[in-house]
Amino acid sequence: MNLRLRIPVAAWLAFIAACALVISRSQFTADMSAFMPRNPTPTQKIMVEQLRDGVVSRLILIGVDGAAPAVLAQISKNMAVPLRTSSELVAVNNGEQVEMEKDFQLLWDNRYLLSDAVTPQRFTPGGLKESLSAYLDLLGTPMSGMAQRVLPRDPSGELIHLLEQLQGQGHPAMQDGVWFSRDGRRAMLLGQTKGAGNDLDAQERAMLAIRTAFENARGALPAAASAQMHMTGPGVFSVESRASIRDDAWRLSLIATLLVSSMLLMLYRSPRVLALGLFPVATGALAGIAAVSLWFGSVHGITLGFGVTLIGEGVDYAIYLFTQIEHGGTPRNTLRRIWPTLRLGVLTSICGFSAMLFSGFTGLSQLGLFSIVGLVGAVSTTRWVLPHLLPQGFSVHTSTRFSSGLLGLVRQAPRARIALVGAAALAAVFLTMHRHALWNDSLSSMSPVAKESLALDEQLRRDMGAPDVRYMVVLSGSDQESVLQHSEEIASIMRTQVQQGLLEGFDAPPLPSRAAQEARRAALPDAALARANLNMALRDQPFRSAVFTPFAEEMAAAKQRPLLDRDALRGTALGLKLDTFLVHRGDIWTVMLPLRGVKDAQGIEQGIRRASATPFVLLDMKQESEQMFRDYRHETEKNALLGALAIVALLSLSLRSIRRVLEVSLPLAAAVIAVTAWLLLTGHTLSIFHLIGLLLVVAVGSNYALFFDHQCASAQDRERTVTSLLFANAATVLGFGLLSLSQSPVLSAIGSTVAAGAVLSLIFSAILIVRSDR
Amino acid sequence: MRVLFIMLCLSSAIARAEAGPSVSGWDLPQLMRSLGQVHASEGKFVERKYLSVLNKPLESSGTLLFHAPSHLEKHTLVPKVEDLVLDQGVLTIENKSRNIKRTLVLEEYPAVWAFVESIRSTLAGDLPTLERFYVIKLEGDAAGWRMQLLPRERQTREIVREIVIAGRENRVTSIEMSESNGDHSTMTVVEKAP
Repeated sequence: MNLRLRIPVAAWLAFIAACALVISRSQFTADMSAFMPRNPTPTQKIMVEQLRDGVVSRLILIGVDGAAPAVLAQISKNMAVPLRTSSELVAVNNGEQVEMEKDFQLLWDNRYLLSDAVTPQRFTPGGLKESLSAYLDLLGTPMSGMAQRVLPRDPSGELIHLLEQLQGQGHPAMQDGVWFSRDGRRAMLLGQTKGAGNDLDAQERAMLAIRTAFENARGALPAAASAQMHMTGPGVFSVESRASIRDDAWRLSLIATLLVSSMLLMLYRSPRVLALGLFPVATGALAGIAAVSLWFGSVHGITLGFGVTLIGEGVDYAIYLFTQIEHGGTPRNTLRRIWPTLRLGVLTSICGFSAMLFSGFTGLSQLGLFSIVGLVGAVSTTRWVLPHLLPQGFSVHTSTRFSSGLLGLVRQAPRARIALVGAAALAAVFLTMHRHALWNDSLSSMSPVAKESLALDEQLRRDMGAPDVRYMVVLSGSDQESVLQHSEEIASIMRTQVQQGLLEGFDAPPLPSRAAQEARRAALPDAALARANLNMALRDQPFRSAVFTPFAEEMAAAKQRPLLDRDALRGTALGLKLDTFLVHRGDIWTVMLPLRGVKDAQGIEQGIRRASATPFVLLDMKQESEQMFRDYRHETEKNALLGALAIVALLSLSLRSIRRVLEVSLPLAAAVIAVTAWLLLTGHTLSIFHLIGLLLVVAVGSNYALFFDHQCASAQDRERTVTSLLFANAATVLGFGLLSLSQSPVLSAIGSTVAAGAVLSLIFSAILIVRSDR
Repeated sequence: MRVLFIMLCLSSAIARAEAGPSVSGWDLPQLMRSLGQVHASEGKFVERKYLSVLNKPLESSGTLLFHAPSHLEKHTLVPKVEDLVLDQGVLTIENKSRNIKRTLVLEEYPAVWAFVESIRSTLAGDLPTLERFYVIKLEGDAAGWRMQLLPRERQTREIVREIVIAGRENRVTSIEMSESNGDHSTMTVVEKAP
């Protein structure tokens, strides 16, 4: 090999090394936020932030089942001990009274600061008479025991009022002193991780800490051997899908590589050529990942998973080259012959993928960039590197009977033209009729999470009494005090709306503003007045007045009590709740009020706007996310259409014949229509990943169509071309067919779409493209 | 609301169980079988609660309604209208004049649950459930019986000392409860003839 020939190989090796270096320093992510718009509206921004690193994203729901309730309860208690001090978790709650006592004490000690019922009127003789009469009612019920216990120190009933406000909020059932599902078969724990939801390594460490705690707790109990633990939560999902995409991508690409390699080995009969054939794919994948990492700063797990799919297309280039070298010819001659077609095929694919490159969603533009760079890398390796490395005099021998039989089939194929055009037209009509049911715009369709995990999440949430929040009132401000004051104003409006039946209830941060606390403290009477007022209220009441001696002391103490701040709530369930609903990010404080049982969202929003000038946002997570994905899809559809137009323009320029452009485009269009109809008929609704699959069908299929369109010099040449197409197709179908078996909905959607689409575009090309060879 | 339960548990002294005289001849399973044959019953009640914080008993009256096996309603009419409904382990207390509705899932409140079960499983003739919660001592005969219930669970014993249910044939005529803190209540029932 002389120097002139060595230069491309050396350059290629240097390029590979550079890519490897970039990749070794790349960051890999797998959270959903990559599929959020880059330029979100303020509302979308709130939602995206919540999904990315909001406290909600840090929650891990844990369920333990598979043993007797008493055993499960013991496991839960034993698990909680190490987890409470774990550095990966800021809190873990299993319903044990250890923690509740802290909360109870906090509520009890600060009841006069916390209760929104505290007003000067509340402690007048009339006000106290009213609360005493409410106590009297309570004494007649089975709850009289607890009422009697708090009555002497809390005759105005602040604790009961606070507890009743908390009662409306869902919580799990109790059994053996810890949280259980309603059916009593699963002990429940709730953890909050220290790391943000999108810090997958931190999430993974927290999951490991939980798993270790469980294994140790199980190991310590002889009756617990059958117990099992389940975890769910946004961070858990991200970690799991990263792992499953990584595992599936590895496993399936390994199997695909083995299968494709065995096939190619039979064809090439040379391990060296086989290895060479994988160079373009490997180069393309490395170049694609490196480019994404350099351009975007990080690589999404889905992009990485997508890397395997490139095997399908990248391997084709080498197959086209190797299989079409005629006996006694050189790779360079072959390339000279097929390069225009190959180049046009790559350009066509690039047009298709540019639809994704310009997407407003990071995840999709990553995929676009990855594919474009990957294809260019693969085809460049085929064009400039492989010819130098192929052994002298290499050519592929296939059995003559096989090749001529294949060619015979291809010659017969155009007979099916009318049938195919008719069927495609029918499918097109079918799709037009069902165009409204075509797309699945729900957030879950975008989720890389498997259906079983979503079902488990729903189950655990139900057990926990913590249904997914759909509506939230969100307001922001420059400091904690003002944003809390505003939220109190809105909360008081919504309380009247609850009574009007517009909603069932809502959650609020468990910390009142300082202004509210001061007002409440000022509303308390001094000890002497409290005693006098109570004595007046007790007149004509059946209560023993001696019972209430401690009340005056309580009042005196309460008037001296310091105001509550965030620190006072730390380490309690209420503190955890505060962190969830009051978020400090940068200079902005945000309060979130999740709503329950919303009957009339519009009415709520208008009601608040009428009564208050405080700016706020009523966030409808479901509607907002669906709207976001609709926008997203419309944009992608528009880009795909532009991509299709660009493909047609490119073909027109290159082929310079309307008939040829039509002939080349028709099989692709028919394949896309047929695959879409097939997906719909088999009960799928299309997600963005199917759209990506269809783009790949166009990319792969365009090569087939162009090679059929390519004019061959001889019948042997045609035979070789058709044989190379068949093997290229077989490699693609093997690769993507395997991918369709993946547990990950993303990989499986792309896999099944492309495998079916590739077969169809090959057959349709054979049927629709008639080229008279010389 | 969990906190309520904790308070229920905290609020008490140590329980004291008393042994009653033994029964001969006519027995508990026989009584429970005859009670179990009544599928629906209706009656009037008068309840007196003697509480240490009050200087006179709390008196109330109204109607009781039972549908076997697990639906029980207690409608208080005097002094104030209040509805207490037990269905499938969920107790709902509704006070319309105050616009208050409280819902207790009984499993979460062992003491309240035990008390409610003493009445429900007696009316339903559900011996296994009754025995799960209480040690039972029966006196008298079919014409006039008296069943003393002593709570098995420690948490319940901290609140309820004993419950005595008395009756004639397959009718309950009175329910007395003594609490560990000295409070006690009696409810007399006059059943409507079926």
